[in-house]
Amino acid sequence: MGVHPRALDYAESFPNHVIPDESELTCGTKIEPGKSYGFFTDTTLCIGCKACEVACKEWNGLPADHLGLTGNSYDNTGDLGANTWRHVAFVEKIGSGGDRAQEMKPFQSNWLMMSDVCKHCANAPCLEACPTGSIFRTEFDTVVVQQDICNGCGYCVPACPFGVVELSLEDGKAHKCTLCYDRLKGGLEPACAKACPTDSIQFGEINELFERAGKRVEDLHEKGATDAYLYGAPDTPGATGGLKHLNAFFLLTDRPEVYNLPVAPTRASDRVRPSFLTGLAAMAGLTLAAAALMSSGRERGR
Amino acid sequence: MKQEQARQPVERRVEQTAIPHPAVEEWNGETYYGQASVKPSPFDWRVAAYVYVAGLAGSAQIIATLADRLGDERDETTIRNGRFLAVAGVAIGAPLLIMDLKTPSRFYNMLRIYRTSSPMSFGSYILGAFGAASGLTAVAHLIGERRADGGRSPMRRAADMTQVPAAFLGAGMSTYTAALLSATSTPLWASAPQAMAAQFGTSSMATAAAALSLGEQIAGNADNSRRLDGLAAVAAAGELIATAFAEKRHRETGVGATLRDGPIGMSYKTGALALGLGVPLVCHSINALSKRPSRGLSILGSLALLAGGMVMRQAIFQAGNKSAERPDDYFRLTQRIPEGAKPRRRVDRAVDARGRLP
Repeated sequence: MGVHPRALDYAESFPNHVIPDESELTCGTKIEPGKSYGFFTDTTLCIGCKACEVACKEWNGLPADHLGLTGNSYDNTGDLGANTWRHVAFVEKIGSGGDRAQEMKPFQSNWLMMSDVCKHCANAPCLEACPTGSIFRTEFDTVVVQQDICNGCGYCVPACPFGVVELSLEDGKAHKCTLCYDRLKGGLEPACAKACPTDSIQFGEINELFERAGKRVEDLHEKGATDAYLYGAPDTPGATGGLKHLNAFFLLTDRPEVYNLPVAPTRASDRVRPSFLTGLAAMAGLTLAAAALMSSGRERGR
Repeated sequence: MKQEQARQPVERRVEQTAIPHPAVEEWNGETYYGQASVKPSPFDWRVAAYVYVAGLAGSAQIIATLADRLGDERDETTIRNGRFLAVAGVAIGAPLLIMDLKTPSRFYNMLRIYRTSSPMSFGSYILGAFGAASGLTAVAHLIGERRADGGRSPMRRAADMTQVPAAFLGAGMSTYTAALLSATSTPLWASAPQAMAAQFGTSSMATAAAALSLGEQIAGNADNSRRLDGLAAVAAAGELIATAFAEKRHRETGVGATLRDGPIGMSYKTGALALGLGVPLVCHSINALSKRPSRGLSILGSLALLAGGMVMRQAIFQAGNKSAERPDDYFRLTQRIPEGAKPRRRVDRAVDARGRLP
């Protein structure tokens, strides 16, 4: 890994100013409005350190929640929610029937870890459901909830096909990952990606990430890890049913359900038209029936 | 060599399903510690009650309009009651919705944008327009009625005009709420978008006819009651068919358990189906066949329909929220990509600046 030539301009240990386009130095990506940015989370590199969770909470000032132990491996975070925008999932494969596994694969054998996050879908169901326009698409092609507009109707919560958005009962608004909208505006790499010590979380321009991820899958297949596949890149699981692709996509080595992800999520708004038209057709039929009843059968009465 | 063998069958499968390995391998019911994969809606009994009230109000306006256009002076009670029910529905329903917001003081933000992909958005406009048109109709009717001396006063004529748009919006009120629920990732609601819309629509019409029939019984117009009971029975029969279709869809997609089992299933079966559909169908059928229809049976059938409609909405809301907490329900529903899901044009009109990429 080479050092960016511009890094030499900022040699001091404690610079007293913001480095312009710092993301260029930390992840080789210059952040410019009008381009699409996202996360590529390579679960084969995740070591489950939860630095991303901490960095996210620190930067975004999110309160602590889920205090206590869940008993689900090392996952005491639980799930994504109003105050948890990164969640490291831990899957321990012990063997079947409570017995210890006798044989193990050499790679990604018994431990699976994945840092889950808002997917920032290309066609985001939460955004399409939002009746106030509070959820909007930013100039970086990410999906953000505007807290000063949200009225807490909560329709985005069941709309999300990944269970990401949640209402906070503290302030009565919907919350989720903003892909560090404020940091992107300031030319900084998102907190979780910058904190990730193994580069399991990679931030970058989305097309570049897709390319990089495709190469990584090929690479893993060549090395014998033929389980590896992408989730959320175009034409892969997760990018189904009109969602097009996910701006935060993943490299997985087991079925999506193992990581609590649906294999073929759908775009909720695709169901509006069939449902509403069927309802209106039923009402038209009932109105005709009512009209027939209203205009006949009067004579019999009197 | 070993790799080649491992990869070949994979690639063949990829061609068939466009989903790469290992996602094509059979799902054996794996979940992440049984934890929910999607989040349940925060909608409680208030939103379910709104769905009921909105449907009843919308359909009551349709019946009142038909009675006004096709009926004669004997239908005056139906017209008046229908118009007042429509306004009452909005007066009760809108506060229920606002109360359910977690930041109710910002309720007016609902009219900040117009978005066809969100039934919550266009539904707000339906509710607002229906409320306005129904309000005008009812007020004009009230004034016109007092001053009428035989013929129709100008005020009454105004009411007869504003009721037409109100009736069309009433059709939307009766059924848009089903589209609202279907356009979520909640397994139970997402599995049967069409059947649920028919269920909600028919139930709206049945409950509206039942409420108006009760009004006629109170006013002593047994003849009017009989016709409205006929309409209620037709709508209830339609609801029975729609319910069967919904049940079929639930079984196909493997999500219906929360609506079948437990206390919710019990209330759905006894409250919504047996009491809400069975009893009124029997009562109204006996009345339709007999020469001297029984007043008691008509009232019983109407009350059963009114109660059943509410139980049905509440049960579907509760069962839906519960199904969202069951990852196996959601994973079963999302095993296959739905057919015929084609991209469609969506109207998404911002009133303010909107951040879509150029």
